[in-house]
Amino acid sequence: MHETDKILNAIDAWPLSQAKIRAGEILPLADMIAFPGNVAEVSQILALANEMKIPVTPVGGGAGTCGGTVPVYGGIQLDLKRLNKIGEIDHESMLVKVQAGVVGIDLEEEVNRFGYTTGHTPTSLRASNVGGFIATRSGGSMSSLYGKIEDMTLGLEFVLPDGSIVTTKAVPRHSVGPDLLQLFIGSEGTLGVITEATLRLFILPEERHFRSVTFPDVHCGLEAIRKIFREGILPSVARLYDPEDAAYSFSMHFDFEEGHCMLLLAFDGDKKKVKIDETRSVELCIAEGGSDQGEGPAKRWWEHRYDMYYPTRLKTEGYTIVDTIDIVATYDRLEKVYYAMKEAMEAHGAFVLSHFSHMYQNGGSVYMIFFTSQPSAESAWETYKRIWDDGVAACLREGGTMSHQHGVGLTRSTYTEDELGSSFKVLKMIKEVLDPNSIMNPGKLGLGVRE
Amino acid sequence: MAAQVRMCAGCSKMCRHVCPTFFAWRSDSPTPHSRALLIHQEIIGAREIDKRGVEVLYQCLECSHCLTWCVPEIDIATIVESKRQDLVKTNRQPEGISRLRSVVEETHNPFGEPHSKRNHWIKTRKVKGNRVLYFTGCTAAYREKNSAKDTVSILEALGYSVEITPDEWCCGSPLFRTGEFEAGLKQASHNVEILNNIDADEILVTCPGCYRVLTTDYPENGFELNKPVRHISEFLNQSLSKLQSGNIDVAVTFHDPCHLGRHSNIYDAPRAVIEHVAGAPVVEMARNRENAMCCGNGAGLRTLFPEHAKKIGAERINQARKIGARYVVTSCPFCKEMLSAQSGTEVLVFDLPEFVMRIAMNPNVKTD
Repeated sequence: MHETDKILNAIDAWPLSQAKIRAGEILPLADMIAFPGNVAEVSQILALANEMKIPVTPVGGGAGTCGGTVPVYGGIQLDLKRLNKIGEIDHESMLVKVQAGVVGIDLEEEVNRFGYTTGHTPTSLRASNVGGFIATRSGGSMSSLYGKIEDMTLGLEFVLPDGSIVTTKAVPRHSVGPDLLQLFIGSEGTLGVITEATLRLFILPEERHFRSVTFPDVHCGLEAIRKIFREGILPSVARLYDPEDAAYSFSMHFDFEEGHCMLLLAFDGDKKKVKIDETRSVELCIAEGGSDQGEGPAKRWWEHRYDMYYPTRLKTEGYTIVDTIDIVATYDRLEKVYYAMKEAMEAHGAFVLSHFSHMYQNGGSVYMIFFTSQPSAESAWETYKRIWDDGVAACLREGGTMSHQHGVGLTRSTYTEDELGSSFKVLKMIKEVLDPNSIMNPGKLGLGVRE
Repeated sequence: MAAQVRMCAGCSKMCRHVCPTFFAWRSDSPTPHSRALLIHQEIIGAREIDKRGVEVLYQCLECSHCLTWCVPEIDIATIVESKRQDLVKTNRQPEGISRLRSVVEETHNPFGEPHSKRNHWIKTRKVKGNRVLYFTGCTAAYREKNSAKDTVSILEALGYSVEITPDEWCCGSPLFRTGEFEAGLKQASHNVEILNNIDADEILVTCPGCYRVLTTDYPENGFELNKPVRHISEFLNQSLSKLQSGNIDVAVTFHDPCHLGRHSNIYDAPRAVIEHVAGAPVVEMARNRENAMCCGNGAGLRTLFPEHAKKIGAERINQARKIGARYVVTSCPFCKEMLSAQSGTEVLVFDLPEFVMRIAMNPNVKTD
C-alpha cells in the first residue's frame, strides 16, 4: 500500500480534520487499507486482525463529522466502498436489501425509480454510505415523519471481531428478548462491521407542501412545534431557526422582522391530508404569535438542503473552523440546554447560530453551529476543543443528551462515560465480550483507548 | 488555483458519487477531492506529488461531472489539466503519456496508424452546393469509418460539396487534455495553416473532442481559423426539414459526450435531430445533459487504465438498459467506440450520422 493512497483515503468530514488539511497537516494514517468485495473477505480480514491484535477502523463514505473513521492507532483501514450492491426491492413488504458501501444518494435514486423513498435525507446524502448511516445511528432531516435510521433498519448482517458473520432477521418487530439489531445500530465500528442492511421503503408522497412561519423568539416557536406534535400531526420537516441562524440563512432572500426566528415546515402525503395538517399547524403557529411567511423560506431550504455540507470562503478562510454540536432533549429542558450551551460556547469567542432541526412528540434536537477563527493553528485547535468541552458540559448539566444524529467518534469520545452514566459499564462489558482484543475502532465511543 | 484546491481538499466529497473514476475504483484515491488534495499539499509545501500521485492525477477523465455538483464551482478538470502541463514540463508524466505524444508526433494520430491511410479512403462526389470542409478526426478516420462515410453521404444528400483534406493531423485533443501542451500547439499550428488554405464556407466536425479544441483551445492560444466551425449535431439541426423522418417504436436514448455537453453547452441539437429522425421522443437516462456520466474514454484514461475505462463504459450502457433503451445514440465517434464495445447485442450504439443514415435506409423499426 503506497503512502499516497493512505493519505488520500484518510480524510473524513470531521471539520477539525478538514481544517488541519487546509493548514497542511498530515492526518493519522493506517498501516494498510483493505477493500473487501464481499462479506467473506470482511470476515477473513477481521479474523486475521483479531489473531494478530491489529486495530481495525471501518470506513464507509467517510462523511461523518466526528472523526469516527480516523485511524488513530494505525492498523487496518477497512474500506467498505466495494460492498456496493443494491438488492431487488421486495414490493410486497416494501423493503430493500443494501450493502454497506452503497452511497445514500445512489440508493435514494434507485428506489425513486420504483416510486419509493427511503425517507432518509441527511445533509451528507451525496457522500455518506448506508453502513455509516447505521453505524452512527443517524437521523435525516425528515425524521419527524419517516423516522430515524434505527426505525428504518429491519435487519442487519454484521461481522464480529472474531470473523463470525451474524444476521438479525428482518421483521417489523419481535418479542424474542432484547433487540440485538439495536445493539449494532450506533456501534460505530467498535463491536464489528456492518456489511448489509434490510431497509424500509415508503411511497413517494403525492404532495410535499412547504410553509414558513416567523416567531418573535425561540420559546414561541418551540411551543408551536410542541403543540403541532401533541395533536398527532407529523410534519416531514420541522426546523426552527434561532434569530442568528434565521438572519444568516434567510435574510438575504426574504423580508421578515429582524431578530425573529424562522420555522420551516413540510407536509408529505395525499393532497387532502397535507391540506388538513398544514392548515391546522398554521393555526397553532398563529396562536403562539407566529407570522405566516408562505412557502418561500421552507421551499428554498429544501432546494438547497445539501449546500451546507459544501465549503465556502467564509467557513474556510485562515484557521477558521465551523462545526456543529447536535444535541437532543425533552421539551421541558430543551430551551435551557440551548441557552446554556450557547453561553458556554460564546464564552470562547465563537459565533453560534442554531436551529432546532429534528422534532418529535416529546422533544427534539438542537443543531448548534459554531464559527471560530484564530490567528494560529495551535490556538485554533485549542479553542475548538474548549468550545466542545464546555458546550457538551453545559448540555449534560442541563439534562440534554450530547448527540442526536452525528454520533460520537473522536469529538465526543471522552464525554461518553459522563453521558451514559451508570449504563456506560454495560457498554464496556458488551465491548469486552464481543471484542476482547479491543481491535475494533479503538478510541471511539469512549472505548478501547490505548496508552 | 491555490485557494480553489485548498477549499476542495477540505470538502466533504459531495461530488464523489458522480465521479466515473470513483465508480471504477471504489477508492478515495481517484476522486476530485484527492486530486485537489495532492495539488494543495504540494502548493503549501506539505508533501510533493510522488509517482503514485502523478498516476492519480492521470486517473481523471476531465469530464467535469464533478463541477455540476460543486456548489463553490471549483473546476477540478481544468486544474488537473493545468497540473498535468506542469508535470510534463518537469518530465514527471507517466510513460504512457510520453509514448502517446511520440505516436501522435510521428503518425499524426493517437493510434499509431499510417498517416497515408487516414482519410484517403473516403469517397466524395462532385456536388454543386456550398462547400463544407469535413475535419474527419482520428477516431472516425481510423476506427469508426461508418460514421465518416455516413457523414459524407448525409452532407452530399443535403446538397453540400464535401471537402476532405488528407493533410489534416490529429486535432491535438489527446495532447492538450493530457498536459502535452506544446505538442498540442504543434498540431494546432499545422491544422490551422492547412484548414485556412482550403476554400470552404465552414468546417464541420463530428468529434466533440475536435470541436472543443478547434473552437476553444486553438483560439485561446492564438490559432485562429478563418471559417466557422460547426458540430454535426448543430448542422443537422438546421436542416431538419430535409432529413428523412422515421417511425420507430424502440426506445432511443442519447448519451451526452462530455466535450459536447458540459464543455461546449450543446445539449438540445442532437436531441432535436434524433427526435425528428426517429419520429419519437428521446427516452432520457437518469443521468443526462449536465448530469450525464462520461463514457470512460477521455483524457488518456483508456490509454493508461483500459480495464477501468471499459468498466465505466459498461456502466453507461447499464444505465441505458435500466430505462429499456434499445438504441443508444451519441454524437461522438470516440464515445461510440467505447460504448459499442461494451454494449453486447441487446443494445445498439450509433454515432449521430450513423443513426440518421440507418433511419433513412429503414424508417420503420419495430420492436423485436
